[in-house]
Amino acid sequence: MTTQTQQIQAPTVPARRRSSASLTGHRFAGPLFASPALLGLAIFLVAPFVLALVLSFYRVQLNSPRPARFIGFEQYTRLFTDPDLSAAFGHALLNNFTFALIVVPVQTVLALALAVLVNRKLRGMVIFRTFIFMPLVFPLALTAVIWRLIYSRGDEGLLNAILGLSSGGALQSHDWLGDPSTALGSIIVMSIWQSVSFQMIIVLAALQSVPAELYEAASLDRANKWAQFINVTVPGIRNTLIFVALITTIFSFRLFDQVYLLSRSGSVDRGSTETVMTQIINTGFDNNNVGQAAAMTVIFMLIITVIAIIQRAAARQRGGV
Amino acid sequence: MMTIPKSTSGARILTAAAAVSIAAMALTACGGPGTGSAGPSVEAGSGEGTINVWAVDGQAAENDALKKIISSFESSQSKIKVNLKLFPSDQYTKAVNSAAPEDLPDVLDFDGPTLASFVYNGKMAPLKGSVSEETLANQTDSIKAQNTVDNAVYGVGMMNAGLALWGNKKLLDAAGVTYPTTPEKAWTAEEFTGILGKLAAVVPGGKPLDLSEQYGFANEWGTCCSAGPVIWSGGGTMLKDNKASGALDSDANVKSLTTFASWKKYTDPNADGLAFTNGRVALSWVGHWTYPTYKALGKELVSIPLPNFGKGTKTASGTFAWGMGATTKNGTAAGKFLDFLMSDQSVRTYTDANGAPPATKTALAVSALYGPGKQLQLLGDQLSKACGTEDQINDSCVSVTRPVTAGYPIVTDQVGKAEAAIYAGKDAKEALSAAARAIDQDFADNDGYKK
Repeated sequence: MTTQTQQIQAPTVPARRRSSASLTGHRFAGPLFASPALLGLAIFLVAPFVLALVLSFYRVQLNSPRPARFIGFEQYTRLFTDPDLSAAFGHALLNNFTFALIVVPVQTVLALALAVLVNRKLRGMVIFRTFIFMPLVFPLALTAVIWRLIYSRGDEGLLNAILGLSSGGALQSHDWLGDPSTALGSIIVMSIWQSVSFQMIIVLAALQSVPAELYEAASLDRANKWAQFINVTVPGIRNTLIFVALITTIFSFRLFDQVYLLSRSGSVDRGSTETVMTQIINTGFDNNNVGQAAAMTVIFMLIITVIAIIQRAAARQRGGV
Repeated sequence: MMTIPKSTSGARILTAAAAVSIAAMALTACGGPGTGSAGPSVEAGSGEGTINVWAVDGQAAENDALKKIISSFESSQSKIKVNLKLFPSDQYTKAVNSAAPEDLPDVLDFDGPTLASFVYNGKMAPLKGSVSEETLANQTDSIKAQNTVDNAVYGVGMMNAGLALWGNKKLLDAAGVTYPTTPEKAWTAEEFTGILGKLAAVVPGGKPLDLSEQYGFANEWGTCCSAGPVIWSGGGTMLKDNKASGALDSDANVKSLTTFASWKKYTDPNADGLAFTNGRVALSWVGHWTYPTYKALGKELVSIPLPNFGKGTKTASGTFAWGMGATTKNGTAAGKFLDFLMSDQSVRTYTDANGAPPATKTALAVSALYGPGKQLQLLGDQLSKACGTEDQINDSCVSVTRPVTAGYPIVTDQVGKAEAAIYAGKDAKEALSAAARAIDQDFADNDGYKK
């Protein structure tokens, strides 16, 4: 959160510095100050990606005495033409997109609603805020154990027990994680529960920075609460909302831990919840097939780049900064 | 404002890519070309001095037992000292994998199914010549099958592992179910389905069976201990002549695993791990390691062989065992230490600590738990009826060793994944064929994992 705001303010400051540097003749100051960051980027981002690109053209098996073998585009052709692999990869991508399509709007709206709720000046609001923020504080590995009990099939599953009790036994027990039609949905619910509070805090900060005079002016114009919300609040935190939606999109495509932790319970068909990230890890480190995993990474990277470009263009058109 | 988050989106993916490829480079560099192909070069050495030993950091009782054994070894003679190093269990195989053969210790612990890949990578030395003939002859057949690669013995084991259906006698009696006590009389799969129906009437939730779902089928538990026994008992195998197509996706396996999946409606998901001890289920399909918890049932606890899918009941066997690093300079001393580890006294100390069945013939015969007439005699019996690897299965043997191949990682991944999918309702033929194709592709990519 803090790093994000710092980054956001960054562009204006160096611009001023650069002009003053050239005035005083420190020609190397700019590159010099940038070099630690650039070096970090080169070592931790550029080099590994280039390596992944290189690896994807080889047949490399982890922990094998066989030397890596150059095989050209074979890993890529397999990924698109091998019926098993292409189906699995396509399905993982589809899961990622489904997840993003549902989670991004729902979570952003929910974060806004929660932020508006906890922004009221009521007694005991601190406690309320703390409770909402709690899921983010607990490690996911811990809460996943609880969620497995909640989703457990059979009558002992907490969710099944509650549904059965509240419907007077009319609703049958359901295998939430085991049934492919509800598996991804279950993960979406858990995921939103876990991370909505993070987005809420960002939106909350933005809400509190909307000037109170605007609300006063609006109420003088006899705008009701809803009109105030639509015409003052939402425009006031517009950029933050776009930012939140973007962050959520990024998180959606990195989806890994929720799936990894929840689908480890026995009766789950791994294919029904596989995401590209879990598939890459599985291919690279369970099957030791590093070349194939590298090819998946490269394609995934290209897809994400395209999405990022489209989103950016869309945000600009709508007047985003 | 927008430009920064945007570049972050690319950056995050790059970071992910970076993590994968850096790790990959690091690992391939360590285990990569040149280091692995040297082959074993054991020197007998002087037979004295300090030997290095690597072992898994197991349960506290196991570690204490191991340290006790080592100190009695050191006091039993004065020439050899032991330098023991324990590794966390989830890091152990990675540690051995990423060490070059010359960095490996004189003596090391290893998990059964990883041995073939260690041998393939030139990390292990054959024990013949270093370990005494008596020690090798005293190993039970089931552990010997696990520790033999290409007809050479690479390991000796103190303990073994076995599976059974643990039964709650009170619930079985309440349903009027009589149960088999020897492997020969194991229930057939059809009988078992009928029995589950009867038991469903007497247990509170109507789900009388625990299949240890909480371990997850889509991993090693599924392959070794759940799908494995089902496949082997149905007369099928995972691999045949190094190929999975025609073996893993055989009609026998489709039938067996479909039957297995049909029991889901009788199965308690056991998400809390307490289904058996709380009396929610009458039968629990799990390994010997739950005995310390399950013995809370006292006299009501009975052990029953797993169901017979047509070719007799089968169980998986095999677990951690001990071997020698490929480049040890002190083979004689290492051999002496291994001899001492396999002595009746050491084996008793170790297996008393963790409750596992002893893997040496003499210790098994006098075991207070697994010996003749004792409470877990069934598991001891099963282990003494060893089949060897899956291509040697016949009707009367019981304990099967998991496939001994350097390609085991892909086998276990795919078999477990297929089992979980079938259990979740996917068509068995489809799931097994897909798994077989993935395994064969991987084997083809690696020239069949042949040397």
